[in-house]
Amino acid sequence: MKMPAILKRRSFAIGLVLVGAVAFCAVFADVLAPFDPVKNNFRYRLGEPNDIYLLGTDRFGRDVLSRILHGARVSLRIGLMVVIASGLIGGVVGLVAGWWPKADAWLMRVMDGLMAFPGILLAIALAVTLGPSEMTAVVALTVAYSPRTARVMRGAVLVARAQDYVEAARAVGAKTGRILRRHIIPATMAPLMVQQTYIFAVAILAEAVLSFVGVGPPPPRPSLGAIIADGRDTMIEAPWIALSPGVAIAMIVLGLNLLGDGLRDALDPRMRNTVR
Amino acid sequence: MLRLIVVRLLAAVPVLFVVSLISFGLTLLVPGDIAAEMAGPSANRVEVEQIRAQLGLNQPPLERMLHWYGGLLQGDLGKSILLNQSVGSAILERLPVTLSLAGIALLMAALVGIPLGLLAAAKAHQWQDQAAMGGALMGLSLPDFWLGLLLIWVLAVKLQWLPSGGWIPFSDDPVGWLRSIAMPAGVLALNQMGPLARMTRSAALEVSNSDFIRTARAKGLAEPRVFARHVLSAAAVPILTVAGISFGIALGGALVIEQVFSLPGVGRLVIGAVLRRDWPVIQGGLLLTAFVFVAVNLIVDLLYLWVDPRLREAR
Repeated sequence: MKMPAILKRRSFAIGLVLVGAVAFCAVFADVLAPFDPVKNNFRYRLGEPNDIYLLGTDRFGRDVLSRILHGARVSLRIGLMVVIASGLIGGVVGLVAGWWPKADAWLMRVMDGLMAFPGILLAIALAVTLGPSEMTAVVALTVAYSPRTARVMRGAVLVARAQDYVEAARAVGAKTGRILRRHIIPATMAPLMVQQTYIFAVAILAEAVLSFVGVGPPPPRPSLGAIIADGRDTMIEAPWIALSPGVAIAMIVLGLNLLGDGLRDALDPRMRNTVR
Repeated sequence: MLRLIVVRLLAAVPVLFVVSLISFGLTLLVPGDIAAEMAGPSANRVEVEQIRAQLGLNQPPLERMLHWYGGLLQGDLGKSILLNQSVGSAILERLPVTLSLAGIALLMAALVGIPLGLLAAAKAHQWQDQAAMGGALMGLSLPDFWLGLLLIWVLAVKLQWLPSGGWIPFSDDPVGWLRSIAMPAGVLALNQMGPLARMTRSAALEVSNSDFIRTARAKGLAEPRVFARHVLSAAAVPILTVAGISFGIALGGALVIEQVFSLPGVGRLVIGAVLRRDWPVIQGGLLLTAFVFVAVNLIVDLLYLWVDPRLREAR
């Protein structure tokens, strides 16, 4: 069997392994986690890592490893929902702005306005406005990061609409809907996919910050950021609680960034010079 | 030149208008009773009504908005309920901490990231390139607040080289200031170094194929000088663009990292206000940080003209 060419790119392959490993652990957290992530065990509080509790226990005697496995599931789920939502919203806004010059100025001013805020501050403010929950985190991060997707999409549409084949389609009398469906949207998929891979990484980092400052999804099912926040008060006696979830976040984010780089280089060599 | 500055300034107006609309509109989205929530569960009816009147919440939204904009045009962002202080002065007195943190982080990131990107471009596809780019990617993938906790644990708790937090103003004690800002700025710099190094590399690679670089080499210039003088100045515009974006991200990062290192900046104020639902401070914080970002990007726009004479001719 022949290996697809993209897997031969080292960054893509490493990224796939990293993301795949964490995603596997997250999906099968129920089976893989040695303990119940929310079950207290007051006889072994702030326990050091040992043979039974591989990453130690927290101040309620809960198994840190089990909490990280379940936390990765929450973080990945929120990240994935942000990727889908911002892809749809940013994609539509970018498509409209790129295709109809009249809408362009208005839409992009709004996007510029949204992007003028530090993304993380806008997300924090929105999360607290709407009241902390998993859904709120998704909405807040989607509002904060869709403008980036819209910008990339708009750029891709502008490139595509200048192509001769689009001119040709118009010349033979194709309707706008058909041109968009058949010619414009397919041409924007590659840059959009690359962008959304990066958004996935950014969303996971930003969700961790939301949880860390205390406006993320509420307990008892914590995301990775919430576990770090939880372990912060006991950093000196039990540093493993706050430090080990960060390694999991770094693995996912590094993996996603590598995947994004690999996709970008494979799908469009000309895009190598653009940054997100 | 002057005309160009005016054009850029005018272009910022609609952006700032959108920014102010969003900052104001946020309170319209709050589901519950803002006044009751701010007053706390132990407050009686009179206290709640007092806060409601103080925030102008007994007026219809449109009137509230006009009132808010009226104050804004006079530089009045309202009054913090919890601090009993005007929002503008509360933010302005904390802004130097946040700005110096973000500024120093960006400076550190540029001093390391740009040479790293040039090195990677000069040794493209060799081990130096891969090591530099691997490091850059690693830096931008680590959660900043977590990295802060890790550094505190290693450098402050275990080795006791640096204080674990707190702020010493530069005017009080320059060395103490440096010690108090080193870790938080270093964390943010590590994050921002990545995008800068990556952009520098790709911009430098693109430029290094051009004719004038070949000429520079042909006339016998040493390779370091070709890169420092010719490649870097031709690649300056995209690097500046990334630096402008990076400043915005560093600003957001500074707001968060202040929590980790207990620094008395805008982030401590605004995130504290978020947790206690002090809406005027949240609105003012959003507005002013966006304002700073727009101002920095205006400066970046003008710097383009300085680094690239071709753009001066264009208009």
